[in-house]
Amino acid sequence: MQSKLSDIELIEQTLSGNQSAYADLVKRHQRFVFTLAMRFAKGREDAEEIAQDCFIKAYRSLASFQRQSKFSTWLYSIVYTTAMTFLRKKRVDTDSIDDENTYIQVESQSSAYDVNNAENKSRSFYLNQAIEQLLPDDSAIITMFYKGEQSLEEIGQALGMEANTVKVKLFRARQRLKEKLERNLKHEAKELI
Amino acid sequence: MNNIEEILWNYIDGNCTTDEQKTISTLIEQDEVYRLKYQELLILNKEFTAIELDEPPMAFTYNVMEGIRAEHAQQPLKAAPNRRIIMGISIFFVLTLVCLLVYAFSNVDLSGVHIPVSVPAGLKMPDVNNHTIKSVIQGFFFMDVVLALFLFDAYLRNKKTAKQV
Repeated sequence: MQSKLSDIELIEQTLSGNQSAYADLVKRHQRFVFTLAMRFAKGREDAEEIAQDCFIKAYRSLASFQRQSKFSTWLYSIVYTTAMTFLRKKRVDTDSIDDENTYIQVESQSSAYDVNNAENKSRSFYLNQAIEQLLPDDSAIITMFYKGEQSLEEIGQALGMEANTVKVKLFRARQRLKEKLERNLKHEAKELI
Repeated sequence: MNNIEEILWNYIDGNCTTDEQKTISTLIEQDEVYRLKYQELLILNKEFTAIELDEPPMAFTYNVMEGIRAEHAQQPLKAAPNRRIIMGISIFFVLTLVCLLVYAFSNVDLSGVHIPVSVPAGLKMPDVNNHTIKSVIQGFFFMDVVLALFLFDAYLRNKKTAKQV
């Protein structure tokens, strides 16, 4: 039985001309990269565009990957910069993405939709809903910390921040997430009564 | 309250020193507020860990690889010249050179030159001052310079591409 190749081994194979090795690398990281892109783009089509762009950019600069950090950390830094560039472009046409009101609107829309399906929802549904209502930075940090197997230092590296700043941001993001989750659940309980 | 939460999150994340860990453990055991908050945060932490990742479309990997292939296919067109084109250009110049030589030798008139060696009758030396031949030679050298620059450009592009990969 062939053992699973590490990211570095796949990178070496890719650099020596084996494109299917890169396809394996994409398969391995696509779910997380796509989720991270979703945290910024808030729409599947845009997220797909960002995620694809990230993998193509990563392929282009694969030779410059220094291997001093994990491949995933390096990849997430590409996701972050690509998503930021994407959002900056989008901001020209739409309202500021940092505007909390934008998310309040989304929140109220989804809450209205929730009323019809209340019985079928699990707590994880509300958690995902609450994450969607967070600011992109907050939801990205939470996703990277809990699902990306990244330490505070690595998240800092990917986002271009100090580990301590990430620690503070993570704490605040968790608080906001908790508040939004409680609010959503309370709202749902009221609707059920 | 925030301070307690911050302390407890650090404890849960494992960002405390050994001494701090011991102190917090004691607080959780003895202090009701700490204990309840700790339990609440533990539940939240468990929930956050269970966040589900979004699933990209089925053709995601294929699309990425297609994007890479498309980009890769475009690069050689810019970076590396087609060998057939180079061969064609080379053949064109070799033929031109042969034609030029044939033309030159066919026009050589050595009747006025006194060479001790017997020269075949009708052989003429090329007239360099002839304007037609002069412009042909100039044109030939000009094309040679263009070809040399083209090949040098191709060489530099190849080198740059190899560096990038």
